[in-house]
Amino acid sequence: MTRATERYDRGVIEDFGRWRHFTAGMWAWIFHKFTGWVLIGYLFTHIAVLSTALSGPATFTGTIQGLESQAVVRVLEVGLLAVAVFHILNGVRLLLVDLGMGLEHQDRAFYASLLLTGLIVVASVPVFIEGAF
Amino acid sequence: MAERYSSFAPGGTSWLLQRVTAAFLVVVLAFHFFLLHFVNHAADVTFAGSAARMAEWGYYATMVLFLVAATFHGVNGVYNALVNQGLDGNAKTAVKWGLAVAGVLLVAQGIRVANALAGGA
Repeated sequence: MTRATERYDRGVIEDFGRWRHFTAGMWAWIFHKFTGWVLIGYLFTHIAVLSTALSGPATFTGTIQGLESQAVVRVLEVGLLAVAVFHILNGVRLLLVDLGMGLEHQDRAFYASLLLTGLIVVASVPVFIEGAF
Repeated sequence: MAERYSSFAPGGTSWLLQRVTAAFLVVVLAFHFFLLHFVNHAADVTFAGSAARMAEWGYYATMVLFLVAATFHGVNGVYNALVNQGLDGNAKTAVKWGLAVAGVLLVAQGIRVANALAGGA
């Protein structure tokens, strides 16, 4: 039994130089990787900021509210939301692909992930920006 | 056409754990964002509010599991991305253990934070 992915030479793995020839699935893979790097980077930053709890209630509350009072932080949070929502939606797509479900629609599922991410982010902007400017 | 498309064929433990943690994180990351941006606004977060949430054992356990799952998923993801990029030999071993240590330290620090909050209610 031959699996579909073994039937042709995909070239050097992670050869980003071929980006002009990328199909939807390859772009999904690039976006998933990029958003993944952002999220793990943010996780370390997040725990570092929350670590102010070890210095006491006043330091913790002051740090969080000090950061949240800056407009640039609010805008970055919208970016983080976009990154997280796409990674979640495309992650669901990947889990379905891994289970062999809806393979024939995987490209449309990627476009749907992008569209839904855009809609959720735009709809969330007022909540994230409220009181920042 | 191949008869079988599912990649849930024999695979490594870390491969399977990457998928298991993904399924968990899809739900909990969405919950985390929703709770701390829509139900409670991030700008209104205080030590007392966080402490009250962390005092609930179910919330505390969920957050610790969230941290462990996210750390494994992220660190393992970075490792596999680098391996796909061509990381090999001694560098591969060094990166593997470097990432493992960073992950353990992150979880340990996160649990210290969770305990500080849980004890502050």
